[in-house]
Amino acid sequence: MAVPRSRIVDLMKAQCRIFSTIFNPERLRMGNKILRQRLKGPALAAYYPRRVATIKDLQKLYPNYETYDEDEEDRLEHIQIQKSRGKGAPKKKKSAAESKKFGKKKR
Amino acid sequence: MAQFRAKKLDLGCFINIKNIRDHTKRKVFEQHEPERQALRYLIRNTSLPQRTRAQAQLQLTQMHCYTRPTQIKNRCIMGGKGRGVMRDFRMARFQFRMNALAGRLPGVKKASW
Repeated sequence: MAVPRSRIVDLMKAQCRIFSTIFNPERLRMGNKILRQRLKGPALAAYYPRRVATIKDLQKLYPNYETYDEDEEDRLEHIQIQKSRGKGAPKKKKSAAESKKFGKKKR
Repeated sequence: MAQFRAKKLDLGCFINIKNIRDHTKRKVFEQHEPERQALRYLIRNTSLPQRTRAQAQLQLTQMHCYTRPTQIKNRCIMGGKGRGVMRDFRMARFQFRMNALAGRLPGVKKASW
């Protein structure tokens, strides 16, 4: 036997009250699906890693403190080794003319 | 762009003008997302008067392009490349290969089956 529409609407009302959903028996377009979407702003903004504190910042903030920068010391030692072997970087030429004198070869 | 760019750079990864711009867009989107969603709701709600809906439509189109989520692109954090970027690693395919072979990506090994 057919159930009267008012009973079904009452049932829907009770369902919505229990499950805390929106009551819309005529299926009107209210735009509620926009309100249901979760915001994805913070998740997107956290894509790139933020800048963290480095030893350089520490040295700038506390210039009188003794700090040991591993990477910097390694780099300086590497340059020293190269220089001792005679493989260090060549001297910088003062002007364009000086750099042309020795380097450029006529083809 | 100038009105949105941060005075002090707060990127920790590879610095590139494209990465800076993308980062700025993400921050601006995060700030304006609730307003954008509200306007979208106003446009889609058929029980509101036509005038408010039209006004909301106009306002949404007049918002700055940096507030739009479609402008955001996932770039590589090591090289700043825009193409071939994998979501799980946030790196482009060559950087991914370099880091995976060096063992810096946990759980990634050469496939063979």
